[in-house]
Amino acid sequence: MTDTAAPVTPASGPPAMPPFLRRLREDYASTPINAVVSLLCIAAIIAIAVPLIRWTIIDANFAGTTRADCTGGGACWVFIKARFGQFMYGLYPPTERWRVDAAGILLIVTVAASFWKAMPRRALAVPLLWLFALIIGAWLLAGGFGLVRVETRQWGGLMLTVFLSVYAGVLAVPLGILLALGRQSQLPVIRLVATIFIEFWRGVPIITVIFLASLLLPLVMPAGWDIDRLVRALVGLAFVIAAYMAEAVRGGLQAIPKGQSEAAVAGGLGYWQTTGLIVLPQALRIAMPAMTNEFIALIKNTSLVSIVSIFDLLGIAQASLADPNWVGMNKEAYFFAGAVYWIICFGLSRWAKRLETARKTTH
Amino acid sequence: MTRFFYDKRVREIFWQVALLLALVVITVVFVRNASQNMVNAGMASGFDFLWRTSGIDVPFVLTNYTPDKNILALLWVGVVNTLVITFVSVIAATLLGFVIGVARLSPNKLLSGLAGAFIEFVRNIPLLFFVLFWYFGVIAALPGPRQSIGIFSVAYLNNRGLTIPVPTDGSAFKIAGLIVLAGLIVQVGIAIWAKRRRDATGAIFPVWATGLALLIGLPAIAFGIATALSPWDVPALRGFNFRGGFVLVPEFVALFLALTTYTAGFIAEIVRGGIQSVVKGQWEAAYALGLRPNRALNLVVIPQAMRVMIPPLTSQYLNVLKNSSFGAAIAFPELVSVFVGSALTNTGQAIEIIAITLAIYLAIGLAVSAFMNWYNAKVALVTR
Repeated sequence: MTDTAAPVTPASGPPAMPPFLRRLREDYASTPINAVVSLLCIAAIIAIAVPLIRWTIIDANFAGTTRADCTGGGACWVFIKARFGQFMYGLYPPTERWRVDAAGILLIVTVAASFWKAMPRRALAVPLLWLFALIIGAWLLAGGFGLVRVETRQWGGLMLTVFLSVYAGVLAVPLGILLALGRQSQLPVIRLVATIFIEFWRGVPIITVIFLASLLLPLVMPAGWDIDRLVRALVGLAFVIAAYMAEAVRGGLQAIPKGQSEAAVAGGLGYWQTTGLIVLPQALRIAMPAMTNEFIALIKNTSLVSIVSIFDLLGIAQASLADPNWVGMNKEAYFFAGAVYWIICFGLSRWAKRLETARKTTH
Repeated sequence: MTRFFYDKRVREIFWQVALLLALVVITVVFVRNASQNMVNAGMASGFDFLWRTSGIDVPFVLTNYTPDKNILALLWVGVVNTLVITFVSVIAATLLGFVIGVARLSPNKLLSGLAGAFIEFVRNIPLLFFVLFWYFGVIAALPGPRQSIGIFSVAYLNNRGLTIPVPTDGSAFKIAGLIVLAGLIVQVGIAIWAKRRRDATGAIFPVWATGLALLIGLPAIAFGIATALSPWDVPALRGFNFRGGFVLVPEFVALFLALTTYTAGFIAEIVRGGIQSVVKGQWEAAYALGLRPNRALNLVVIPQAMRVMIPPLTSQYLNVLKNSSFGAAIAFPELVSVFVGSALTNTGQAIEIIAITLAIYLAIGLAVSAFMNWYNAKVALVTR
């Protein structure tokens, strides 16, 4: 092929446009319809953004302590300021709130340590680290052994959302891996039991599971055993998420070529060695984005515990609307709660997407 | 002895028997505890309560239920409401999701950016937030009946819900429905016949033309005539409230809006992924074989995009079914709300009621996924 494309020189017609204007025209006004679409989009953006910015920033009230300080037409962020402690900690005693902060720092350190690639014996150390962190975290939050006991009734707000998500999530991961392996097992009974378990929990709404856990769990325990309300909800959530995690892990397992496990068996490894040393490390890396997405779904679904009177972030925002001193704060409460959920979930989903692209480029 | 235990088959049987035994032991312990606890608490058991008079007033009834009917009839109200809200939300979410998913792929960056913003907004916030927001934040803040927002002067939206006109005599609509059903059956027959003929002789029958006539034209005409012939009960303002028409309660409107917008965000991503999964070479190959653009779309691109889209769409539809239970948070009388809520409070028979509820969700879910699996198997790639 010979290069016949000569440089295009506008012989006649409109005078040459500056390049940035030409690009603008190509992108947003290539055809009349495209131009109309662009104009409509600009109108929509203005219609949404201008009132939103006016309400949240320009007309909003930031200073003050009571309802009377909110004089402008915009948002009354004074309300959020006055309620901030409750939104974060629920009814956790203010003098003990440092324990929640400490548990939060412990969580961040543990997550960070899990991604430290150079950790010696990482495959064993990370699960042990989490186990240790969960026990210390539960001790910090609940008290006992030298700390003042704080009843779970007093827990609430963002701290409860994070607690339920982390504990249910961490319980669900090993259970989900076992279930996924069970569903792929060669042994018919184990495969059947795992399949029924997974399909059952995936087939029913989480609300009914929370009811199931909070109403029936005390009933099937020996008389006199009292399971904490929060633990019941936690167990229910963990079972459901484990079933979803199992399907995410199964996706990873199915992506591993059969030759991998056949080679391991030929090399003299048994089932658990093959699974633990060869198949799972590869499968989990592939399943990681899907598992993160299930974790995001878990964070969003923890909001359902408010149906059994456990007040997580959304529940406490809803409950705060009943305060007679702060009538009509619906928008502010929802905006704040929604923004916190959004920041957490959006951050995690970006991270999941990055994991996915990183994997795709390495292969 | 050790040799015996190192036999692979023996070990396999051992583990399976152990699992079964463990399950049996757990079940027996749970059942014994439960029956002991129920005797201690003086709780009744059995399914006799289903035939007891319910006495529960339900604000949104589509069956012939009244509070003097039995609890079984109450259960049926819940099932019908769940199915109705699921059905309308699935339809609306699919339409909205397809529009947003296609907009996301638009070369116009403003449009795709707006679609992307919507998708990221709804996907990262709990559904319960949207349910509460629409219910307490939007519908409760609407004006009262006297300042209703009129929609073409036939439907009115206010803080007591959406009042819509209803035909006082539905027989014309029943006939129209039957005609549409007949049209659907004829169209399926034509499609099967046309495919057989195409496979046998290569002749192409314009299935899309009869489809357009039978699936869009016929229903439009049938329902148009039915609308014109039926006597209508149009809502009108009398005093402080509307008379006539049918009131879709605020809970219904809020749950419908929340489910639709939330699910549309997920469906849009599925649609985008499905269309993007068909590589450009497929279009080019279809053109190279001499197919015209519409035929390339119908015969090459859509079948492949659908194959990618069907499984995740199925799980989204099942999610809508399960998520309709969020209505319990705002007391919309769907299955969980009327049965696990009201009926359980009245009768106290937690085990039976929760078991029935779970069984209903599982049964509907299994039916939907069985249908979608059958459809998926039909469109699946045949690998050799």
